[in-house]
Amino acid sequence: MRRLPALLLLLQAFCVGLVHAEEHLLELVVTEPYLEMHSGPGRGYPVVYVVGRDEIVTVLYSRTDWYRVRAEHGQEGWARRSEISKTRLESGAPAPIPPYPEFAAHRWELGAGYGVYNRENLVTAYVDYGFTASLDIEAALQQAFGTLDNRYIATIGIRHTFVPEWKWFSPTASIGAGWQYIEDRVPPAPLQDSNSMAYASLGARGFITRRFMWRFDWRAYVVFNRLNVNEELEEWKFGLAVFF
Amino acid sequence: MEIRLGSILLAAALLAGCGWFHRGDKTPSPVVAETPQADPSVIDPQVTRREVKTPKIKAKDFEIGAYVGALSIEDFGTNPIYGVRLAYHVSEDIFLEAFAARSKAGLSSLEDVFPDITVLSSSGRQFTYYDLDLGYNVLPGEIFLGRGRAFNNALYVTVGMGDVKFADLDQFALNFGVGDRVLITDWLAMHVDVRDHVFESDLFGVSKNVHNLEATLGLTAFF
Repeated sequence: MRRLPALLLLLQAFCVGLVHAEEHLLELVVTEPYLEMHSGPGRGYPVVYVVGRDEIVTVLYSRTDWYRVRAEHGQEGWARRSEISKTRLESGAPAPIPPYPEFAAHRWELGAGYGVYNRENLVTAYVDYGFTASLDIEAALQQAFGTLDNRYIATIGIRHTFVPEWKWFSPTASIGAGWQYIEDRVPPAPLQDSNSMAYASLGARGFITRRFMWRFDWRAYVVFNRLNVNEELEEWKFGLAVFF
Repeated sequence: MEIRLGSILLAAALLAGCGWFHRGDKTPSPVVAETPQADPSVIDPQVTRREVKTPKIKAKDFEIGAYVGALSIEDFGTNPIYGVRLAYHVSEDIFLEAFAARSKAGLSSLEDVFPDITVLSSSGRQFTYYDLDLGYNVLPGEIFLGRGRAFNNALYVTVGMGDVKFADLDQFALNFGVGDRVLITDWLAMHVDVRDHVFESDLFGVSKNVHNLEATLGLTAFF
């Protein structure tokens, strides 16, 4: 029985924590003549409530370019980013709406795409981290679908972007190492079912919108095997990515 | 009464003791000539500036969920399918989505007619796929249920590619889909999807593009 009050206290502490978490939301003052609240996060959803000047809205969370806000009397709806950024804090400072990540200096990139590897269809997914604006490290996982075999390819490399401030088209070059696993579809089985590889590549990247971008890459691989002559392969791919 | 008096005395003694010990800590203030200050102010404010932390806005751009439905595998009948999905909403129009699902093929019409013939082994009948898709919300709007209920929804189209493993072989497959996302609440959505998985197959001797249509019903949560 002694545990019961302790448990109750713990529960209460937890509830207080929750309430406290709820309290710590951003509050903004509408400074334009009005702020429109839509029923959903998109231009297709109708305006359901209008907040007047000098009224306070609480920002709950965001989805893409829309912010879920609560008006003073509890009405909730979605406000456009461009309109929210015109509001102010109670101190008078502008609303702390984070800017879009700057494309030229972004850090992380996550993408996927289609390509052709050794004349076979290729599906690729990659993650990229930028040390500086022009130097990145990139890791990719790929699957190539051939008539004779399927190949799983993992690569890691460093990439140089020549003119990172060119937004729409900027050439790149990279070198790296990789590994492939061959799963044969038609006998006979390959002499080696896995190889290590090295590659050099030329490519380009460009900005599309907000945090969306494209990449093109052409790679020349050298596949190290037990034969006298190393195998040489070519690959090209086109991918779409989001950056953070 | 005695106890209380005793404890008060003890507390007083302790406090006095503390005072006694701390007495020596004070360094004697050195005598310095008073220099006139440049800006003599009456009040010297000793207010520590309160750190104002503006709360961060949580972004809920991801969507995760599962779906069930029926998959029509060309030549192998219609069978139940179970899958999972993960989406990232880039803008109010564009989203990226990944799917993975599994189904099991039934008997082909050939096997129905000639029961002695077996086209595929048991493991070969497993139909597994993963897809990476690009989606576009074409028709966002509201749907109405009765007089007093409106739900946000969006009709979207998707196109993508991935791997279909069928007949123990991995094939490169393209997929085209149309779906509708109905938001039950702001974080919970229901999906109705129709998707076609197209790949090249030579299972029956002739190489052809096979179309595998699926119709699914799913539930997702935004986070």
